[in-house]
Amino acid sequence: MNPWLAGALWGLVVVTGAMIVAAWSTWFERKFAGAMQNRPGPTEVGPVGLLQPIADLLKLLQKADIIPRTADPVLFNVAAPLGLILVLATLAVVPWAPGLVPADLDIGVLFALSISSLMVVPVFMAGWGSNNKYALLGGMRAIAQAVSFEVPLLLAALVPIILTGSFRISDIIAAQADGHWFALWPPGPGALAFVLFFLCSLAEANRIPFDIPEAESELVAGITTEYTGMKFGLLYLAEYMHTLVSSIMAAALFLGGWDGPGPDGPHWLLIKSLLLFAGIFWVRWSFLRFRGDQLMNLAWKKGIPLGLAVVMASALWVHFT
Amino acid sequence: MAEDVPLIPREDVESYARARLAEGYDYFVYCAAAHYPASDTGVDRVLVEYRVRRLPKDMLAFRVEVPTGETTPSLVGVWAGADWQEREQYDLVGVVFAGHPDLRRIMLPEDWEGHPLRRDYAIETRHPPWR
Amino acid sequence: MAVIDPHINIDDYEPEGDLVVLNLGPQHPSTHGVLRVKLWLDGEVCIKAVPYLGYLHRGVEKLCEKLTYVMVTPIIDKNDYLAPITNEWAINNSFEQLLGVTPPPRSQYLRTICAEIQRVASHLLWLGTFGLDMGGALGGGATLFMHTFRERETVLDLFEALTGARFHYNTLCVGGNRHDIPAGWDVLVRQTLGVIASRIDEYESMVHENAIFLARTVGVGVVDPVLARALGVSGPNLRASGVDWDLRRDAPYGAYGDVQIKVPVRTEGDCFARYLVRVEEMRESIRIALQLLDGVPEGPICALKPVKLPGAVKIKPGIGYASIETPRGELGSWVIADGTERPYRCKIRPPSLHTVALLPYLAPGNNLSDIVVVLGSLDPVLGEVDR
Repeated sequence: MNPWLAGALWGLVVVTGAMIVAAWSTWFERKFAGAMQNRPGPTEVGPVGLLQPIADLLKLLQKADIIPRTADPVLFNVAAPLGLILVLATLAVVPWAPGLVPADLDIGVLFALSISSLMVVPVFMAGWGSNNKYALLGGMRAIAQAVSFEVPLLLAALVPIILTGSFRISDIIAAQADGHWFALWPPGPGALAFVLFFLCSLAEANRIPFDIPEAESELVAGITTEYTGMKFGLLYLAEYMHTLVSSIMAAALFLGGWDGPGPDGPHWLLIKSLLLFAGIFWVRWSFLRFRGDQLMNLAWKKGIPLGLAVVMASALWVHFT
Repeated sequence: MAEDVPLIPREDVESYARARLAEGYDYFVYCAAAHYPASDTGVDRVLVEYRVRRLPKDMLAFRVEVPTGETTPSLVGVWAGADWQEREQYDLVGVVFAGHPDLRRIMLPEDWEGHPLRRDYAIETRHPPWR
Repeated sequence: MAVIDPHINIDDYEPEGDLVVLNLGPQHPSTHGVLRVKLWLDGEVCIKAVPYLGYLHRGVEKLCEKLTYVMVTPIIDKNDYLAPITNEWAINNSFEQLLGVTPPPRSQYLRTICAEIQRVASHLLWLGTFGLDMGGALGGGATLFMHTFRERETVLDLFEALTGARFHYNTLCVGGNRHDIPAGWDVLVRQTLGVIASRIDEYESMVHENAIFLARTVGVGVVDPVLARALGVSGPNLRASGVDWDLRRDAPYGAYGDVQIKVPVRTEGDCFARYLVRVEEMRESIRIALQLLDGVPEGPICALKPVKLPGAVKIKPGIGYASIETPRGELGSWVIADGTERPYRCKIRPPSLHTVALLPYLAPGNNLSDIVVVLGSLDPVLGEVDR
């Protein structure tokens, strides 16, 4: 098939699927939070509020699009779509089943991680371009946080790479076939690396308890303070998708990807990543927020030594088995 | 319960306050002021009352009379809590505390005219500035 | 953390980079009202903080001069809008003192019970919003907030059963109460307080050993007791700094003379100590309210005849001050009566004003995130600060 046509088809399927999952996970999150807080959550639009994401979308589309007079129009306008594009690009290297992958890059893990760290660029563009002190502080916090947590994230991602000997994500998943998930096996470093990877991707995606770039009690709404309408929606969606993509990556690298009891296939990867995603909601609605310097301490004094330790341990494991 | 509140001459207030502080009255309760127009007693004046405590049980108040147009010494140097309270009384009653480090309006906007809790402050105006 | 002089002249400060002037408020999610604090930030560390008040100034003291003694109560109600009953009590206390009237025992008991369950409601709201300050409206803080509000609603239901209003009751008048205890109210109070007592344990398990909560509060915003006394800080904020003083115990009013009151005191003076003191106070308030509920005496609820005309109460000339302990500290009123049916001058001494005065001393040297937590832990109510 023509590679352009194949790319377009893949893009259509994956992006649409991801959008639908993200949209209805907002519904799920609101129901979930409601259950935690003794309230029903959305109930009005559609049965049990199921059409709420569509109503939200329509509301955001109708809102006035305000660009502050003092804002930098280019940075301000480009930031929102750019964030979403970057996040969706990560999905290109995720293999859903043997052979079922948009682009089976031989450096798939590196591609995904580098795209994920590029996410800080639109965030800072939004913070700087808004010409608002709260947004600027939020952007600066985001950079500090992303740069710090990049290192332990990479170290944790190195563990499956070392155990497999390949940067290709489909190789990594194939190596975990028949229940040899890296989160379980080898016993020590795999599980630790999984936890570390998951926490660091939470921090990368600015989720509670690591959401200091948009700590609304301090910074009003952080980088999104000046955004209205669909641009705000895109920033919000980008952050949401970032969390979803992080969950998918964690499921692929550590939880065996498409592997599972019964027939293997895309459904297992989807189920695992959605479970992780729901776990993020759970964390989000239970925890308070760290302070900036405490977060840096966590990354540099705990995350990086732990990351180095698990890398060494997995290297020794590979060497002696 | 009639409370015996001494009236201190203005020039002695600061030394009186310091003596009370030395006796252990280190808790500042409030500084309050009320304006008496000349029609009342012949002198247009402001009555200022300070109240302090020696925790847990003792409480003590003293008053100063400030004729309009004159000042009374600020007690910010004795009790730090007098800072905002004196600003408030300056703002609302218009009594000037000499030596206050930062005597600005606190409740009303900076450009407000007059001191609303004075008896000579007109509130009936039905036209701008509607005060 | 470097100690920075709160009165520093900002021109004398040599910043590492550029100074950022940040206006926290008056419209800001975490200032608990319309407080505006002008912050000078070096990076994210605050160098100087100057609070600007008056955004909620309604001229209550001026209104009091223009209204009769009976009409003052519903106006005063709106000052501390998280604990309305205490405003009513404080002002009527002063009027009664000047008038030489003592409310009958039944009224005293009722007032005390109301004030104590109001304290529970106020502290519950504080706990929820304190969580919001640290966890955000879309996070764990909101979960705590929703849970504490659930209980606060049940307390407001009690007031609704008693006075017909959930808030701003206008139930006290000069000389006593307006609304007598309805049949079955005591059973309702016992049930509600029993539920809340068990839920407080639940909240404690939610936050008390939460590592993030501890990291954000322990050692943050330490209030020096000497400074706090000089500034006139009162209530839980003062008791968290090791000053053992509570008007309910040290100058009993209402029915507090008839009960044993344990006053929780902590010596650390940080945000966590203030949290501990408030949680302990909720338990103590529940205990006091239940204790008083057993012994409510029979009799009239108002010492004066029911007031029909607004001008019916006249007070002979005199100056008086009376204060009570609200959930936020010492709330007093300095009243000058001149023999007419209107007060000549009425000054409210709000505890929150003195609490906010702490902010310029606590903010310098702290991170922006900590300033929000410190301000939240001080529990100021801006309606009362600005009046």
